[in-house]
Amino acid sequence: MFVQQLINGLMLGASYSLVAIGYTLIFGVLGLLHFAHGEVFMMGAFIGLQIALIPGTNIYIAILGALVATAVLGLVIDFVAVRPVSKDYPLAPLISTIGVTIVLQNLAIYIFGGEQVGFPETIEPVLYQLGPVTISSVQLFILLVALFLMVTLWLFINRTKVGRAMRATAENHETAALLGVNVNRVVLLTFIIASGLAGVAGVLDGVKNSAISPFMGLEVAVKGLVVMLLGGLGNVLGAMVGGLLLGMVEILTAAYLGTSVRDLFTFLILILILLYRPTGLFGTRTVESG
Amino acid sequence: MLDEYTESLLVFAGINIISAFSFYLPFKTGQISLGQAGFMAVGAYASGIMTVKFGAPFIVGLLFGGLVAGIIGVGIGFPALRIKGIYLLLLTLGFAEIVQVVILTWDYTGGAQGFQNIPFLKGGLYYIYAVVLVLLVFFARLERSSLGRAMVSIHEDESASEVTGVDVVRTKLLAFGLGAFIAGLAGSLLAHYFTYVDSETFNILVAVEILMFVVVGGGGTFWGPVFGAAFLSLLPEFLRWLRDWMELIPASWTAAFPLNRTYDFLYDFLDFENEKRLIVYGLIIIVMMIFRPQGLLTPDSVRRFQFLQRRFSSA
Repeated sequence: MFVQQLINGLMLGASYSLVAIGYTLIFGVLGLLHFAHGEVFMMGAFIGLQIALIPGTNIYIAILGALVATAVLGLVIDFVAVRPVSKDYPLAPLISTIGVTIVLQNLAIYIFGGEQVGFPETIEPVLYQLGPVTISSVQLFILLVALFLMVTLWLFINRTKVGRAMRATAENHETAALLGVNVNRVVLLTFIIASGLAGVAGVLDGVKNSAISPFMGLEVAVKGLVVMLLGGLGNVLGAMVGGLLLGMVEILTAAYLGTSVRDLFTFLILILILLYRPTGLFGTRTVESG
Repeated sequence: MLDEYTESLLVFAGINIISAFSFYLPFKTGQISLGQAGFMAVGAYASGIMTVKFGAPFIVGLLFGGLVAGIIGVGIGFPALRIKGIYLLLLTLGFAEIVQVVILTWDYTGGAQGFQNIPFLKGGLYYIYAVVLVLLVFFARLERSSLGRAMVSIHEDESASEVTGVDVVRTKLLAFGLGAFIAGLAGSLLAHYFTYVDSETFNILVAVEILMFVVVGGGGTFWGPVFGAAFLSLLPEFLRWLRDWMELIPASWTAAFPLNRTYDFLYDFLDFENEKRLIVYGLIIIVMMIFRPQGLLTPDSVRRFQFLQRRFSSA
């Protein structure tokens, strides 16, 4: 049973990871808490649903479409609500992304209605028996897509020139700019990647829960913050591992201690980490006044 | 007298002003809290327990609610001394989420069903604005007191103010605890006006909204939170009012092509339905942060106003 729960936790954690990677990328590069990230996730789910409802499409097209659409959304957010806002006032960009949150959520209610809507069955449900563990095709699909994206991102950040520019910008804006990195372009790219990942996570969440609503962004946004902290602010690998870890912890506490304890546990972890390991579980960054 | 709708609008604006004050006090020392909704919840439930379960008069409940929130605030204030910025934001967010879980699971106050049958406070509007008035006087005096100056100096540079003899620990704890006390007052006023509260009444969006009141209004002076809270609470109403005025424009003026489309579009967007107005509301916030990141009111603009005032009184 324990192994089964661990796999369920891994599933839940995969979408946390994808969202938290976006948070941590944006925080690393801009020092900004991107409040609207959960809403990008929600928009991804709705766009994926719209595409999946078109006859003749399949889940891969839906994921690809959501990825492209939310990447464009990330670009728009950077141009409209982040770049024009002065960084001299540390709270101003945070508030403008809160403005984006309000716009996106109400836009979704306006277009798609305020109700929960069903997500069509896009993957033929098959159950695989691996010894004592049962894993469904849906679970397998979600895990594989999430893992594929994470590995791709990891290679991109660590093996390409653009990825190196991103890491340099995250370390120090001025120095990176002096060394010939176009910081504005890196920030834009960061928003595009982060938003695209969140959009895919939204579709995967729709596939998993077979229902989505315009209000689904908030919980994921908060959980994503916890994961980002768990992994260390700005630490991409930390966010990946932290998300899977939190997913497993949540499923295990829900299974053995009850669902009401689950959230309590999550936020107790958050507070304990803040107090005793503010650089995250794997963090190398020093705590700074952000 | 006021009709019911206007009254509830004013009640919301008043409670928002009080909660904006509760955020502003720790903010003065540089502490940013996303936990004010949690303190409001503590105040609402503590005061509700007093008036519902023990039959205490409202005033006792109000003070008890504030007090319990304040004590918990000091308790959170201790770990908050060690961390700053986004870490503190996350710590207070975690606290608020834990409060929500406790509310949801505590059967004594209704659990997930919410806290019901809280006695209705007659003349709640007057109580609320009495509290607003007291707080205005308090903050006006604080701004000129040594404590207020100590708070500002901590915000500017913590080590420098420590060297010059400011008791940083005591001041920060006091600011955080008093802020929580004020949030507790706001929560108990809210609970006794609406007679029903549950965990969703105080969700994280409420805390975010409070943060927005202060930043949009301007964090440099205590008039900022007052103005920001009043402005943002009444903005959706203002948009609705704008729509009423649009109806007065003669149809012949907007008959031609580009104008009629613009008119229809604007008219549609200022519709009574909530989400369209809220989209405009969100856009206004973004635009405001682009053009006025320091907030609507700054100490300078307040000073200019005071200068005018002096002129009038001397004339």
